[in-house]
Amino acid sequence: MRILLVEDDDQLAQRLSERLRGAGFAVDLARSREEGEAWPDMDMLAAVILDLGLPDGSGLDLLRGWRLRRVACPVLILTARGSWQDKVEGLNLGADDFVVKPVRFEELLARLHALLRRQIGVRGTWLEVEGVRLDVISGEVESEGQPITLSKQEFRLLHLFLRHPGQVLSQGAIVEHLYDLDTHRDLNAVEVLVSRLRRKIGAGRIRTLRGLGYRFGAA
Amino acid sequence: MSRRYGVARRWGWNSLRLRLLLAILAWVVVGIGGIWVSATRLFAKHVELGFHEELEVHVQELAGLIRLKADGAPVLTRPLSDPRYLVPMSGFYWQVNVDGHPPLRSLSMRRGALDEQVAHSAQVLHRIDKGPSGPAITYGFVAKGPQGQDVHYMIATDERLLDATISDFTRDLTGWLGGLALTLLLIGGAVVLFAFEPLDRLAAAIGRLRQGDREALRGAMPLEIAPLADDLNAYIAHTAGVVERARVEAGNLAHSLRTPLAVIIDEAERLAREPGTQESAQVLLDQAQRMAQQIELRLARARAAVTGNLPGAICRIAPTLAPILSAMRRLHPGIAFVESAPVPADASLPIDPSDLTELLSIVLDNAGKWARTRVDVGVAAGRITIADDGPGMTGEERCRAGEAGLRFDPDRPGSGLGLAIARDIVAAYALDLTLSDRQDGQLGLCVTVAAAEEPR
Repeated sequence: MRILLVEDDDQLAQRLSERLRGAGFAVDLARSREEGEAWPDMDMLAAVILDLGLPDGSGLDLLRGWRLRRVACPVLILTARGSWQDKVEGLNLGADDFVVKPVRFEELLARLHALLRRQIGVRGTWLEVEGVRLDVISGEVESEGQPITLSKQEFRLLHLFLRHPGQVLSQGAIVEHLYDLDTHRDLNAVEVLVSRLRRKIGAGRIRTLRGLGYRFGAA
Repeated sequence: MSRRYGVARRWGWNSLRLRLLLAILAWVVVGIGGIWVSATRLFAKHVELGFHEELEVHVQELAGLIRLKADGAPVLTRPLSDPRYLVPMSGFYWQVNVDGHPPLRSLSMRRGALDEQVAHSAQVLHRIDKGPSGPAITYGFVAKGPQGQDVHYMIATDERLLDATISDFTRDLTGWLGGLALTLLLIGGAVVLFAFEPLDRLAAAIGRLRQGDREALRGAMPLEIAPLADDLNAYIAHTAGVVERARVEAGNLAHSLRTPLAVIIDEAERLAREPGTQESAQVLLDQAQRMAQQIELRLARARAAVTGNLPGAICRIAPTLAPILSAMRRLHPGIAFVESAPVPADASLPIDPSDLTELLSIVLDNAGKWARTRVDVGVAAGRITIADDGPGMTGEERCRAGEAGLRFDPDRPGSGLGLAIARDIVAAYALDLTLSDRQDGQLGLCVTVAAAEEPR
C-alpha cells in the first residue's frame, strides 16, 4: 500500500517515512505544495498524510486543488496549528481526519489504518477473506487460525489483496501499490512475491488470470 | 440597526439630541416670552398715553365750545368733533357744571353723572372714577366764567375701551408669537435631526462593530467628528490587525515548537525500543507530552485572552455552526449529528467567531467521540445545547471535567485538554458552560453553552 507524505521538515519527513515503511507501507515523499500539486499518480495512492504548513503555501490549498481534480484517496491532515478553524476548514475541503503534531506514531498509524478501513467499509482492525486474517495494527497474520510470518513486502501484498477481494489486480497495479516512486520497479519481482505468498497462505487462494493479473478469493 | 440604537435610545434622557432640543425649547420660550411681555407692556403704555392725550384735547375742545348765557347757564355752541359723544352710552361722555345751574351733559350720557371733584383745579387732572357705564378715565379742570363763577369741565371715557384695545392686541400678539415659537421649534428639531445624522451613522457603525462586523466606517463625516470617525476606523483596523497578528504569531509559535517536538518524540520512541535506553526514553516521552499539552493549553488561553478582551464581539450561531457540523459528520462518520430544529437566523452569542468555532468544535468532537449513534444539537436565543447518547458522566466526573490533561478514557484519541480549553474560552467571555444529564431522561451527556445571566 503506497501513501504520499507531504511534509517540509526534512528530519520529521525522513523519520515518519522510515516508520511508515516499517509498518508495511510504501512511502513517497513530497516537500512542498508545488511538488504535491504536480504529483503524477494520485489515484494510485492508498492515502495521503498532509502537513498544512508548507513553505510555498497552505496544505489546505493543495487539498482544495486535489479535490477539485477529483482525487479521491483519503487524506489525513498532519498539522502543527492546533486551532479548530484549520481543522474544520480542512475537513470541509475533503480531508478525512487530522492529527496534531507532535503525535505518537502509534496514534498516527491507528488513524491512518482507520481511514483505510473506513474506505472499504471495515470497522475492526483486521481484514479477513476466506480464512486468511490480517490485523492491520498489530501486523499479525493467520491462515485458518494458524499464525503466519510474512516479510514486509509479502505483508503489503496480502494487505492489498485483502482490501480488494475477488478483484483482478494487474502486475502493474500491484507494483504501483507496493513500491514507492524511487524504488526500481520490476514486474518479475511481483511474480516472485506472489509465489512466496502462495507458499505461505496456500497456493489456491491466489489465482493467476493469464494476461490480466491475479485474483484473491472467489470472483 | 438594532433596537438598542433605535428611536427611544436616540431621544433618551441622556441623549445630546434631547439636551439640544430642550435648550432650543428654553431659548424659544424665554425669547418669545420676553418679546410678549415687552410688547404688551409697551403697547399698553402707548395706548394709555394716546387715550390720555386724546381726552386732554377733548376737554380743551369742550371748554372752547361752551358758552355761558347771560344767566350763567352753560350751552354747547356746536357738537364736539368726535361723534362718539353723541351715541348713547357709547362710553364717551362729557359734563359741564356751573354753580346754580343744572349740569350740561353730552347726548351719550343718558344716565349717571360725572363727579365734579375731578375738576377742582385750573390744571387738567384725571383719575379713574365711577362713570355712567362702569369705571371711567375722567379728565377735568375748572375755569372762571365772565361773572367770576366756577365752570367745571369734565370728560370721561370708559376704562373698558382701553382694556379691550389692549387685550385685543395681546390676543393677536399671543397668536402670532405662538406661531413663531412653534415654527422656531420645528426648525430647531429639523436642525437637530440634520446635525446629528452623522452621529447616527457613527452610532450605527459602532452598533455593527458590537455585532461583530468590524468593517471600517464609510462616507463623508463633518469636520467636527471626522477625527473621531478616523480614530474609530484606525481602532477597528488596529484591533483586527492585533487579533490577526496574535493568531498568526500563536500559530507560528505552535508550528515552530511542535515540529521539533514531533522529532524529539520520534527519537524518544526509537530509544524506547532499544533495551538500554528505555527508561530515559520514557522520561523524554513524558516530558515532551507535557510540553505539547502546555503549548496547546497556553496558546489557546492566549488566543481567548486576546479576543475575549475586545469590546462587543457578537457571533451569529447559524453560519458558524453549519461548517462545524459538516466537519464533524466527516470526522465521525458513524455518528448522526442532528439539529433538533432549524437554527434561528438571529441567534447569537457574545463571542468572537473563531473562538465560537473552537468552543463548539471541542464540545461537538467530544460528543462525537463518546456518542453511540447520535449527537443532538439545539439552538435557541443565546443558548446552544449539545447532547450525545454516550455513557454520560457521573456527578464527580462532571465536576472534574475540564481539568487540564484529564482523560476519562485513555484509549480514545485526544489530549485531555479540550474541555479545559473550552472552559478557558467561556471564562474569557460572558458565557457559561454547563454539563448535565440529558433532559429527556436518556443516557448521555448534555453540554450547554449560554450567555451568562449577568454581564461580567
